Formats: sequence, C-alpha cells, structure tokens
Amino acid sequence: MISDINPARELRDTCAIVGTATSRLGRVPGVSSLDLLVEAIRNALDDAGLNPSDVDGVLCRGPDESYSHHQLVAERLGINARFSTTLTNGGASQIMSVAIAVMAIRFGLAKTIVCGFGRDTWSRTHSSEEARVRNETRPESMLAREFGPEYGYFGATAAHAFGATRHMHLYGTTRDHFGEIAVAFREHALRNPDASMKKPLSIGDYHAGRLIVAPFGMYDCSLRSDAAGAVIVTRSDHAKDLKQPPVLIKGFGFQNNTRGWFADDNMVVTAAKQAGEAAYAMAGLGPRDVDTAQIYDCFTYMVLTQLEDYGFCKKGEGGDFVASGALRLGGALPCNTSGGQLSEAHCEGMLQIVEGVRQMRHTYPENRQVKDAKIALISGHGGNQVCHSTLILGRA
Amino acid sequence: MMSDVIPKPKPRPAPESLPYWQAARDHRLALPKCDDCGKFWFPPTRTCPHCLSSRFQFSDVSGKGKIYSFVTYHRVYRPAFAQDVPYVVALIELDEGPRLLSNIIGVSPDEVACEMKVEVVFDDYDEEISIPKFKLSKV
Repeated sequence: MISDINPARELRDTCAIVGTATSRLGRVPGVSSLDLLVEAIRNALDDAGLNPSDVDGVLCRGPDESYSHHQLVAERLGINARFSTTLTNGGASQIMSVAIAVMAIRFGLAKTIVCGFGRDTWSRTHSSEEARVRNETRPESMLAREFGPEYGYFGATAAHAFGATRHMHLYGTTRDHFGEIAVAFREHALRNPDASMKKPLSIGDYHAGRLIVAPFGMYDCSLRSDAAGAVIVTRSDHAKDLKQPPVLIKGFGFQNNTRGWFADDNMVVTAAKQAGEAAYAMAGLGPRDVDTAQIYDCFTYMVLTQLEDYGFCKKGEGGDFVASGALRLGGALPCNTSGGQLSEAHCEGMLQIVEGVRQMRHTYPENRQVKDAKIALISGHGGNQVCHSTLILGRA
Repeated sequence: MMSDVIPKPKPRPAPESLPYWQAARDHRLALPKCDDCGKFWFPPTRTCPHCLSSRFQFSDVSGKGKIYSFVTYHRVYRPAFAQDVPYVVALIELDEGPRLLSNIIGVSPDEVACEMKVEVVFDDYDEEISIPKFKLSKV
C-alpha cells in the first residue's frame, strides 16, 4: 500500500555519501562556474575512487540563469545519465539534490548519483572594473517592475535584515549576538587553509565594520565567491567496497513557506522548523543527538533563528545560546566548522554538505575535528527566503 | 556638488496592478478586495489568495497601519539613492491586513521602531505616478 510508505523505514541509512570535494575556492578568475563544478566533481570522484563511467545520475545546479545546467555538466563529464535534472529552490536545492538522489537510488532509477553546485560570483563582480560597473549599473529593465525599486529596496541583505529587526524587537536579540556568530565562524576559517578569510575577526572589528543595511553590517553578510562542491551518493551496501569511510544519509526534510517571507511570522519562525522536524523523524533523532551543525549562513541572523527553529534552544533564546560560545569548536554545538559562507566561501549551501561529510569521516586534524562526532545536521535555505532543506548525516 | 540628478526607478505597473497606480495618482490607496470572501490582498493579482475567487474590485483602504519590521539602508545600491542614505524601508501591516513595503519619511531612522502606527502619504513622481509612502501617525 502506498499509504504505508514511511521515509524512516524506506530510506533511512539506505544510501551513503562516498565521495566529496570542492573546487578551488574564493577568487578563481578566468574559470566559469561550470568548469569549477567539473573540477569539484572530478575531485570528488578521485576521493571516492570512482570513474565518470560509474556515475549514472547527475543532480546539479549553477547560476540561476543557466539553462539545462545538468546537461552541460554531464556533457563535460563525458557521460550519459539515466537520471538527471536541475533544481530551482535556491540555496535549499543542494540538500534536495541529495534527497532526490537517495529516492532515485532506493527505487532503482539510478545506481550512483553526483550532486553538485558551482558559482562564479566573485569573478562576476570583481574580476575587472568592467565587471564591477556592469553589476552596479544594471539597466532598470532588469529590476523588479514595481513595489520595491522605487523605495530603494534592493538585494537579499535587506530581505534577511527585516527578519533580524523583527527578532530583535520580539526577543531583545542584539548585534553582539550576531557578531559572536561572525567571530566564531571566522575563528574556524583560520583553521581551514582553503578558507577565503585569513585574518582574525574580533567583536570590536565586527562593530567597526561599515553598516550595509542595518541591522546588518559588512560582517553579517556572507562572501561573494567563486566556488563549487560535489558529493557522490550510492547505496550503503555498495559503499562498503569503496575507498572512503561511507557517511550514512539518515534523514532529510523540507518546508517551503511559499506564502512568502513577508507573510505570517515566517521571517522569525522559518521553514527550518518543519523541515527539521521531518528530518529528525526520518532519522529517528532529535536536536540533542546532533554533534555538529552546518547551518546556511547567508547572514548571521539566519544562523541564530535556524538554531532556534531546529530546537537547539527555544525560540527567542538564540542570542543567549550563541553568546555561551556553543557554536565554537569545543563548544556545545560546533557550527560551520569550516568557516561557513561568512568566512570560508559562499557556495549556496554545498560546502555545508561537504563539511558535514568530512566531520563524519574523522579524518581532520585534531584542531578541526568535532571530537567523537557521530551525527551532523546540515541546512539549506533559499529561493525567496522561503525554501528550506535539512539533511542529517551519520557516521557509519 | 552633483549637478545632474539621477532619477529614481519609476514603477512600471504590471497589467494587474494598473488600478493600484491609477488610484495612487489620485492619492488614494486601493487594494484588490474579494467580492466573495471580502478580504484584501497585496500585491495585486487576478485571483484572491484567500479563497481563489476571481471576482474582485480595487477598494480604498484606510491608509493606516503599523510597522511590522524595517531596515535602514546605509549602502548605496543605485546612484539615484546616494542623497537619501540612511533611509528606511519598512514592511507596513495595513489595518485591513495586507503587508506592503514602503519608505518611512519625515523622521530620523533612529526614531523608527516595530509596531509604530503609520499612515500613508503620496509622493508625486511625475504626472503619471504617485508613490505611496508612510509617515508616523500623530500620537
């Protein structure tokens, strides 16, 4: 009976991530987003000890304007793919790719699927003076027609900053709390040789940073990066014969608050709540079981509110939770241990998945490894701030 | 000093929001209101999101509401706003229910807070377009 299908029984632990890698990160001028992604996939195949001919599924995504992206990727890999498509849920797409891979593999539509995302955001706006000017003087025809540009409303920073203001109003959250998130992730980035940001950040530096769209200053905002990442998903029983310790896919869940970021109280109680509940149910776990969280940190506030929505603390207590030092390596919930999108590189959540896998393998040096970590929770957030995905990984 | 004034983006009404802008030109705030369930919505579309009825009319609202949340722009995203920073963009919750984005004018950004009561004023862009903005209501 169809009605008897239960994700926990049908899907939990059936598949594993057996390879993962990134491209070069940060500033990679002269390399397209597609080539960055192919670089990441090639590295992930090497990591797994697989060849492109072992792959029969491609679930990839790149810059939003790229048409038939998965076709372009598979062509560059020199393969035909049984199961192949591109998603359009923004930063929530990358986890959704992994989940769709699990479902496709479990039900016999593919054997081994590569999931990945690549972008060239730094190069688009910084590689030349022409690129910078082109970005800042986009013609009016490319703006929204109405209900935004006439008020000087532009950009994702403001959209998320609305949530930060409302949270501060309701719960007394402060910029010191947001600053602690930026400082903690920067400290993690300093341990990661691949991270873009190399200089220490103090809370004083955070407050001295120029304001962008208050309450956000420059250190509340994620990086503009050239970056790609990839993971390879296959059946858990197949994974045992491969090169790396497999990392089990224990749970995933989704919520899309498509009534809108500005509707209801979606900007303070995000779609992470229901996505997380579904992922916990599938994994048979709860927030207390999570050893490390890799949270979609497009802006500092988004980390704080998701920590609440995932049940790591109560709604409204995120400020106290982060102020306790919980997010730091060695803290109660080491979070974004590679530096995150705020300090490693922004790859629309793909690098959060890569880092979650690596933490589960226990192959990091001691100063980067979350000690004895067995469960990682990973989040993806995007679209128009309303699409959310949750992934729970476990050490096999 | 700058001698050339760079014009701000002019709203380009979509067909379904034309009545909104026609009312605004007359300094009235009018939103689609469902003939079947009686509720307002925004932005204008051709189907009531509350009951999916396609029977509706643009009806005047009070123009009064409160600030659900707001942000203050310090960065200049477009040169046309260079003279305005810091300026406030707020999400206004109208007394009739719908929320819409606008500027809060006539007050320093430091004095703006969530839940403050506001009321609409109209900023004439040219002879075709007037832009609804909001000021703090007198207490």
